[in-house]
Amino acid sequence: MRNEVRTLRTARGLSQQQLAEAMDVSRQTINSIEKERYTPSLPLAIALARYFDTTVEEVFHVDE
Amino acid sequence: MSTNEFVRSRWFMPLFCLFLGALMFAAFAIGDNVGQGAISLAIMAALGAVFLLGRRSETLRGLGGPGRDERWAMIDLRATAVAGTTVMIAVIAGFIVEVARGEDGSPYALLGAIGGVTYVAAVAWLRARG
Repeated sequence: MRNEVRTLRTARGLSQQQLAEAMDVSRQTINSIEKERYTPSLPLAIALARYFDTTVEEVFHVDE
Repeated sequence: MSTNEFVRSRWFMPLFCLFLGALMFAAFAIGDNVGQGAISLAIMAALGAVFLLGRRSETLRGLGGPGRDERWAMIDLRATAVAGTTVMIAVIAGFIVEVARGEDGSPYALLGAIGGVTYVAAVAWLRARG
């Protein structure tokens, strides 16, 4: 699933490890999300959106 | 430490390997084959050590517990499904070969029945849970 996680993370100067620790997941999971190989669960998607002070729709994009 | 924290700790899988090794050793010892039991225990202890020391590998961390998160839960679920499907295919193939040889199909018939009934029961239970 297309997403803006890498853009949002780098804009805040965060490493993948720092974001992973904030989300209580592994660094590899953040990497997989950014590379669009793994679609996160709804709770993790919401947690990411809240962390970046935005909405899920602004972070994740479903291609119609 | 909660149960979930323990399962995700680096100690769970090594201790679980040791527990399985001890169980195998006891079984072999009861069957008067202490030597084979000691070999089994040593193999399981070595496997536990690999899980304990192999912290740089994501695969070992995920298999061992510390690296587990929701992505690993999904990987684990899919890997379990692949392993279960493979075992059921092997059981069905074994049953067919045994029947073709004029045997009664045991123990493959029993294993297949256990697998089939468990699958249907799990589907019914999971459907009821929503």
